[in-house]
Amino acid sequence: MIEVKRLEEDEVMQVEGEYETLMPIDEYLAAGVHIGTQQKTNDMMPYIYRVRTDGLYVLDVQSTDKRIRLAAKFLAKYEPSRILVVSARQYGQRPATMFAKAIGAKALVGRFIPNTLTNPAFRGFTEPDALIATDPSGDAQAVNESVDAGVPVLALCDTNNMTSNVDLVIPTNNKGRKALTLIYWLLARQVLRERGEESRFKYTISDFEMEF
Amino acid sequence: MKEDVPEKCISCGITLTGVGGVRFPCPSCGTIIARCNKCKKQSNAYTCKACGFAGP
Repeated sequence: MIEVKRLEEDEVMQVEGEYETLMPIDEYLAAGVHIGTQQKTNDMMPYIYRVRTDGLYVLDVQSTDKRIRLAAKFLAKYEPSRILVVSARQYGQRPATMFAKAIGAKALVGRFIPNTLTNPAFRGFTEPDALIATDPSGDAQAVNESVDAGVPVLALCDTNNMTSNVDLVIPTNNKGRKALTLIYWLLARQVLRERGEESRFKYTISDFEMEF
Repeated sequence: MKEDVPEKCISCGITLTGVGGVRFPCPSCGTIIARCNKCKKQSNAYTCKACGFAGP
C-alpha cells in the first residue's frame, strides 16, 4: 500500500518571489515567531496570515521582517542612550538587556516602578526619546507613562494584543523564549547596520537567549 | 521652523495641545509625524503624507 505524505500546510508560509528576508524563513519558523494565540484583535488583523485548524492564529512572517527593518531605521534616528527597553515578561528580560547592551540603550527589566518616566523627584527618573515594550499589555505601566511624557512607543505585539498607545507595531510571538531572542537579536543587528556599525555586532543568537 | 514640526494630528487633523500627543520621525522616510492622544489611544491608523507608510 502506498502511503501518501501530506505537506503540513499549517507551517508553510507564502513568500513572494523577490523579497529577501533578514533571516531565512525556516529560522523564523523554527523560533516560532509566527505562532500567535487563539485570540485575535481587530488591531492585529492586518498582520494575521491565517488560522490553523487548532484555532491558533498565525502571523505573517514577511510583515514581521519588514517591520523589523522599519523599526531599526526608526531607532537609528535616535541617540542610543535615549532609547529605553522594558520587559516585564521573564523570557524577554535577557533579550531586552542584551539588545540594550548591543546598541547602547537603557533597559528596565522586571517590575517597572511607577513614576519612572513622569516624576522628576524619583531617584530612578529617566527621560527617554523612544520606548520599546516587549508586550504592551504586560508593560502597560511603561506605555501609559510614555503617553504622558510624549514618548513614541514601539511594541512587540502578538495576535491578542491591543495596539492602544503604540506608535509602531512589530507583529511577532511575544511569549516564546526563542521568538523573543530572535526578534531582539535581529533588531539589534539591524539597528547597528542602519548606523553603519555592523562590525561592532559580535553577538550570537545564543547570547541573547534567556537561560533557565 | 514651523514647517518642520507639525502642529496637527496626522489622523484626525486636530491641533495638538496639552499632554498625550506625540511627535516622531516616520520610520520609513523620516518626516515628522504628529499623533494626538485620542488617536493614539484608539489606535487610529495613520499614513505618512510624504512616503505613504501606514501605521501603527
